[in-house]
Formats: sequence, structure tokens, C-alpha cells
Amino acid sequence: MAPGDAGHGGPGAGVSEPAGMEPLVQVFWVPKLGNSEEEYEDACAYSLAARRFAVADGATESSFADRWARSLVQRYTAEPPLMPPARVPLPEWVTPLQHQWHAGVDWEALPWFAEEKARNGAYASLLGVNFIEPEPPAARFSLLNWFRRKPAVIPGLRWQAMAIGDSCLFHVRANQLLKSFPLATAAAFNDRPLLLGSNPARNQSVWGAVQLAEGDCQIGDLFLLVTDALGKWFLQSCEAGGRPWETLLALGTQAEFGAWVNKAREERTLKNDDTTLVLFAWQADAPGAPAPTPPS
Amino acid sequence: MVDPIAGSDGRRKCDSVADAINRLLHNLIIKCARGEGVRNFYEVCVIGYGAQVAPGFSGPLAGRDLVPLSEVANSPARVEERLKQIDDGAGGVISKKVKFPVWFEPLAKGITPMGQALSLAQQILAGWVPQHQKSFPPIVINITDGEATDTGPVPQAEALCNMTTEDGNVLLFNCHISAQEVDPVVFPDTDAVLPDDFARTLFQVSSLLPNTLRDLARSENMNLGPQTRGFAFNADLVELIRFLDIGTRSSNLR
Repeated sequence: MAPGDAGHGGPGAGVSEPAGMEPLVQVFWVPKLGNSEEEYEDACAYSLAARRFAVADGATESSFADRWARSLVQRYTAEPPLMPPARVPLPEWVTPLQHQWHAGVDWEALPWFAEEKARNGAYASLLGVNFIEPEPPAARFSLLNWFRRKPAVIPGLRWQAMAIGDSCLFHVRANQLLKSFPLATAAAFNDRPLLLGSNPARNQSVWGAVQLAEGDCQIGDLFLLVTDALGKWFLQSCEAGGRPWETLLALGTQAEFGAWVNKAREERTLKNDDTTLVLFAWQADAPGAPAPTPPS
Repeated sequence: MVDPIAGSDGRRKCDSVADAINRLLHNLIIKCARGEGVRNFYEVCVIGYGAQVAPGFSGPLAGRDLVPLSEVANSPARVEERLKQIDDGAGGVISKKVKFPVWFEPLAKGITPMGQALSLAQQILAGWVPQHQKSFPPIVINITDGEATDTGPVPQAEALCNMTTEDGNVLLFNCHISAQEVDPVVFPDTDAVLPDDFARTLFQVSSLLPNTLRDLARSENMNLGPQTRGFAFNADLVELIRFLDIGTRSSNLR
């Protein structure tokens, strides 16, 4: 979706929230300074019903990357690759999107340079996270195992994530960064990530570079999906001993987020790039459940 | 990137210089192309030097100095079709027709007023630099097939590179196309491999590659040391376009 609208999977798109718990979701985005909103090439989508969230970052140096990035996040939230039950392999998963992208280009109408550029294809990072119920126990019931089970506030809810490129997932629990995925340090960012392409001939190096991760989820846990500029800022802040999630949680509106981004760009702590944040915290509506991490 | 066009054996040096300039412009345009258009991340000026020293665009842009890149893209003097040899994917090579836009025609000439050309570049940039202090500094790429026949290039190059934006000094990169049978040299960090005094002089007035360009070269798997200069001998600097930073570029495109 174009963030901020009621597009695919967002509130108002007819999806229902899972009974018993609901994540509080906020989406903020700002285009690169000097570019219009139409030139924004990040994308994000989520489905509360399916508990899937995705962000993608279309590469500046490719054509029609905005459309490519949108198609990736939309398909991810509808049917993610590699995940159960279908476990669709990534090359197979991306093929219809590549056809769709190619068919969406009016090749005849393009001037020579635009055609040559488009022949190279569009490129985007893709970061997706799913929340899944535990698999039914394979072993027979064991009283000992039941006794030893780990207490979980959301019983058994786990997350699984996949990433291609440098969009990042941050998992925060009890005011501590629990997981940074797929990049763990600010130094790991560069301007030449391996990205998922609309040109099938360019993806051979991608298949072996897909990153996977998973973890458990408790009520009050905070998750942030960000594109690279914000990811680098976030990790730099953590490395300096800060709690960047507190800064982001304090931004309640798109306008506040935009003002904060502009200031950080001026101070050169945030790279001037399309910037996207999807932030959500799990909470339960059951009586007595603990509240999500509050904004500071 | 647009690779060197095959079949250039036996061509004049000035044809090779013109090809190098046209391919630089071509690659810069492709780099900045997006959707149906080209983003104006750059303004471009071409100066020809020979019998006269003047803005060198041919066709609709004749006489213009700094031109926004989208206008350059839409205004070549003509678009040729050339044959390019490409890998056929089965161990062989096939010829394929490619578009080769031409903005700059070869200048056959008897003199090489390089100093005057660098001075004209300085005059043009003297108007631009104060108005664009937040920008990456201008890059001047001097492509020559011969030794300067005026007082150039040292004092003029020094004056040119003294201009600065907040991001650093104006960068001067030199590209020497020679008839000598010498292996191509690109981005050297010493002049020890260069065959004559003129090549060494051009190396000495070439800017050190700034960290930003070296970092991007590293992400493109090209390791360049801190003493590397923007210089090429018997080669072009089209590679340089890959190191210019306009935003995320997939490493799949390497």
C-alpha cells in the first residue's frame, strides 16, 4: 500500500483483528527531501487478520521501483513465501510479480534511456514478519513437558521473519533491544545491498542470501519495521547507549514524525532517503492483561 | 554500464575521445533514469578544445554550457545504431544492435589548448559553486589525446581545484588516450607505471578520490587505496559513473 492510506491489509480494508489480542499499529513515512510524495519508493503493508507485516525499499537506481516494492509487500501479506503451510520457494513466489511488473511497463512509449534503464529491472529490499500460533505438538502428551513449559503471556505466539536487503526488524522487550534483523550493527549498512529484482536474470545471487529469523512474542513486546535510513539511525543510537524506540514511540502523528525526520536530516544524524516506520505492540484485551510498552 | 564499443581498431584518437565522452553522458543518464524520465541530479557541461575552446555540445544543445541532465537525455545530436558484442550465455559472443546517442563530435585538430579549457571550466563553475554550497563538489573530467600545447595544465588545474563546496574541493579527473602500446591503467595510486612525463603530470594534477567515492568503489568490489587518483591511461573513466552516489543501487547490477 501507499502508507497512510487504507490500502492492502490496513485498517479499513475489511480485515478483522484476531480475537483475544490486537496489535496497536502505526505507520509513518516521509519521502526523500527534494522528492515529491509521488517519488516515494518505499512500501509497506500489513494484515491484522493474517498477522503479517512487510516493508520494502525500492532502489533509487532502478525504474518503476515504487510499483515493484508495493507488489512485494502486498503479495507478502497475502501469501508469504517460505512459510507454512505452502512454503512456496522464493523464485516461484516472485515469478508472477515479475510478469506483472513487466506487463505494467508501456515499453513502446518509453524514450531510449528509459527503455534501457527499465530493461535492467526494478529492485527492492523485502522484509516480512509473520506471527504464528504454535504447531500442534508432534509428541504425545507428556506431563513433564507440560510442567516444564515456558510461561508466555501470549501462549505460544511466535514470529518468523525473512529479509532480502537492508530493511530491518527490531524487537524490543522490557525497554531492551532483543533482536535486530537482518543487520545487527550500523556499520553493516551500505548503499549497495543485494536486492530482489524484477529481472529474473539478476536474482541468482539473491537466493542464497535470504535471511531468516524467528523468536517468541509476549504481550507488551514492541516491533519496528524500518527502511535503511531509519535502521541505521536506530542502531547508531543503540550503539551509543540510547533507546531510540522511545523517541519513535513519542511521535504520535505523521506530522510529528515528518518534523522529527526533517530535524534529524538537518542534523545529519539521519540520511536523506525515503524513510518508513511500521511500529506495533501486542496487547491483550483480556481483563488483567499487561499494557503495551507506553510511550515515554 | 555501456561497455566499450567493439571494432574501434584503426580509428582516430579523437574518435576514441568523442566516444568516451558520449559514453560518459550515456551512462550518467541511464544511472539517473527513473520511470519515463531522468532525474536532474546533475547538470552537465561539455567543453571542446582544439582550434577553439568552447562549449562542445552538438545538435540542439550547441552553444550551451551547464545543461540539466534530463535536457541532455532528450537532446542528443543524433542516435546511432552500433553493433556491440555480448556474451551469448553459451560460451560464445554474438553481435547485438545497440543505441549509441551522440552529443559530442570528434574534434580533429592540431593544437591542444588544455590550459585554456581548464580555465573555461573554472569560469563556468565560478558561477555555479557559490550557489550550490550544499552540493557534492563538481567533477571535471578532462579527456585528452595529447600533450597540452599552451601553458597548461598545472596552474589552471590548481586554480580549478581550489574552488570548494561544503562537501570538498572541485574534483579533477584526467583520462589520457594515447597511441602508445601501453596496457591500460585505471585509478592508479602511483605514477611509477606511467610511460612518460606528460602522463605523470596529468596524474599529479588529478584529484585524490574522496572517501565517499572510494567507499562506493569498495561496495562495487573494487578496492582502492587512499592515494588513488582519478586518472586513467589508455582507458576511459566510464567506471567512475558507478561510484557516483544518487541513492541505493542494487549490488545485483554489478
